[in-house]
Amino acid sequence: MNRTLLIARREYMAYAKTVGFWLSLLAFPLFGALGGAIPILMSHAEPTRSVALVDEAPTGSGLAAAVRQSLENEQAKGDINALRMAAIPEAGVVGGDRVRQIAETQGYEAGVAALKREAPRAGAGFTAPKPSLTLAAPPAEIVAAAPGEARDALARRYLSDEAPDGRKLSAVVFLTETEGQPGARVWTARATDDAVENAVRDALKDVNRRQVFAASGIDPAVVAQTDRFRPELAVFSPKAASGGEVSFRDKLPTVVGLAVGFILWSLIITGASILLNSVMEEKSNKILEVLLSSASATEILTGKVLGVALLTLTVLVAWGGLGGIGLIAAAPDMAGDIGSVLMSNGLLIYFLLFMVGGYLMYAVLFAAIGAFCETPRDAQTLMGPIMMVLFVPLIVMQLAIRTPDATVVKVMSLIPPFTPFVMAARAPSGPPLIEIIGALIGMFLFAALMVWVAGRAFRAGALSDVKLNWKSFLGAVRGGS
Amino acid sequence: MAAALTLDGISKRYGGFQAVSDLSFEVEKGTICGFLGPNGAGKTSTLRMILGLQPATSGRIEILGADDGRKVRDRIGFLPEERGLYKKMTPVDAIAFFGGLKGLPVAEGRKRAREMLEQMGLGDAQKKKMKELSKGMAQKVQLIASVVHRPEFVILDEPFSGLDPMNQQGLEAMIRALAADGATVLFSTHVMQHAERLCDKVVLLARGRKAFEGTVDQARATSPRFLELEGALDVAAVSALPGVSGVEVLNDHDGARTLRAGLAQGAGGQEALKSAFLTGLDVRRFQIKEPTLHDAFIALTGDHPDEDQSVARDAAHDGLKAEAAR
Repeated sequence: MNRTLLIARREYMAYAKTVGFWLSLLAFPLFGALGGAIPILMSHAEPTRSVALVDEAPTGSGLAAAVRQSLENEQAKGDINALRMAAIPEAGVVGGDRVRQIAETQGYEAGVAALKREAPRAGAGFTAPKPSLTLAAPPAEIVAAAPGEARDALARRYLSDEAPDGRKLSAVVFLTETEGQPGARVWTARATDDAVENAVRDALKDVNRRQVFAASGIDPAVVAQTDRFRPELAVFSPKAASGGEVSFRDKLPTVVGLAVGFILWSLIITGASILLNSVMEEKSNKILEVLLSSASATEILTGKVLGVALLTLTVLVAWGGLGGIGLIAAAPDMAGDIGSVLMSNGLLIYFLLFMVGGYLMYAVLFAAIGAFCETPRDAQTLMGPIMMVLFVPLIVMQLAIRTPDATVVKVMSLIPPFTPFVMAARAPSGPPLIEIIGALIGMFLFAALMVWVAGRAFRAGALSDVKLNWKSFLGAVRGGS
Repeated sequence: MAAALTLDGISKRYGGFQAVSDLSFEVEKGTICGFLGPNGAGKTSTLRMILGLQPATSGRIEILGADDGRKVRDRIGFLPEERGLYKKMTPVDAIAFFGGLKGLPVAEGRKRAREMLEQMGLGDAQKKKMKELSKGMAQKVQLIASVVHRPEFVILDEPFSGLDPMNQQGLEAMIRALAADGATVLFSTHVMQHAERLCDKVVLLARGRKAFEGTVDQARATSPRFLELEGALDVAAVSALPGVSGVEVLNDHDGARTLRAGLAQGAGGQEALKSAFLTGLDVRRFQIKEPTLHDAFIALTGDHPDEDQSVARDAAHDGLKAEAAR
């Protein structure tokens, strides 16, 4: 077998044969899935709080009824929003909005039926979200007691395990009215749980708003109707795919570009870091000299870079495959949209080229630094400033999502060390072809320069005991002292 | 006999430090050559130049008919002074990998690795990871890795360092076996006894310069014989004996001394002994001793082979930063 391939194979197998590699390979998608599932699991695991409203407002104000109504309205809004969110992955934002509109105007059950029509798979498995609180009838004892300390003492009792007849409550809310404005004293079983506090605060604000409108002579039905109003807003752009109206599909490329930029950044830095550690290990274990007696420095460097590239590719394919399967299963329309974005205008090819160029320039540089070092501490002198520079594209990429043609983004995308990340983020928004081609040429020329520089430094570093610093590194590159 | 290796006026300079000066010698095919000198004498630098790992500042090297060691690297086996193998690899995998780099098919490398490990008494260690092996075992594995491809020329840099006497004997046997199979062996060491037992030829190096090139016997012949005397002896009286060129006190215990008297070139010692008895010196025991390679080294260079010239060596390593790619 060719020496370079032999070194590449050893490099690949050294990592691929470890349990840690496969664990970390699966950890990312696993934690990604968990990250999405945890809020849902938490909301399901959260107990429904039993809350009693006790009206201490002047008789006839109807505060308790108004608060109750507001809380129920809020719960209904949550249910309708859950219907919309369930519909979106399968039916898109437009389908989700249709389901919401039906639920708002025709009721929750009609909304569920609409969900089943718009998104059959989501509709079949849909269950309404668990309410965070239910309203219980206030205990007669508390209602009968005199407001103040007597009621508070009873509230304490109903919040404890000594509640009469096992009617333990999560919270008792005393609704008050001071100078015509609604307020409340909330007794809660758990001081740290602010769910009831927040719900009551929102409800009181809502009640106050209605009261203010009513006092101004505005019909409550008008307020309700106003609240339900959803403006029909259409955004137009000459750059939209339709030639006019902007859709979610038009915004998707920017999102995809940013995501690809971040993925490239993390993969390239991960791969280059693996290489740095691998070369450092060989240096500290005195293996580099043996290797150099058996293969040229170019063969060693190429083999190692290739081996780690295959490793990185394995990670990319595994993550891409698992992510793709997950997306197709959960949101086939969105998966199709993302697929068509990647396949349009040669984007996929550009991304692959950015990955190759970016990996090459950083991998060889990190390998050359590793050739001078036996411990990570040795490498810090050079790695510190390099990592600081590497954080620059992360910031610029976020700018690119809103203003991909901002001057700073344009300039940064043409600076070769940043091109792989910033141009990847820019490319989907359709920059002039000349800029993409120019950036690619610049990137590959710079990568070639880095290969040359790092090759010289690697050869010198591999047999050297000299302490690594910028002077010694550049001296090795120049071939002088 | 044809030369497998020729060095012609080789010099190596690192910045302001002259590591090797005008070094010339030859190693004939199928022989064992010892490259001897203290630490820091320039042995490792020379071996690296022979391998093509670093360029000579001046001079010419020819190895196996090539003007650059890198052109014939598949025909060379090399064991570096500072050893190491991949800690997580098994010995069989490591040997097959390094054999593979020398052009040996991996399957054949694995087969040979198993056979050679058995021969070296490491059969039980085949499936262990390198990090689980003792230092001696790991060194044997590395030695096997350097010769598994059956090289024509074997370069061993301080191969005996770190080995216990038993393993040193085993290594000596292995070096003899390599030569018996037709390989040319060049090994560096600062321990003269190994060279004395093994070498057809030795090259002595001190402070980067060749001090001697020839057989072990020729080297010994450059040093005088010794007359070892024991008794209540006076150093001045012994120094005055005919044919004695210098006296060293080896032992002094309650007036009973052991003296080592160097004999001048051509002096047999009998004259000195005769004179000692005639003058009534208290000689209780005497012995005429042949010089060792160690003695020859001191006589030839004025240096002690066990002294550390590593200040120079460190400078040489520092100078490596100046070694850019060729």
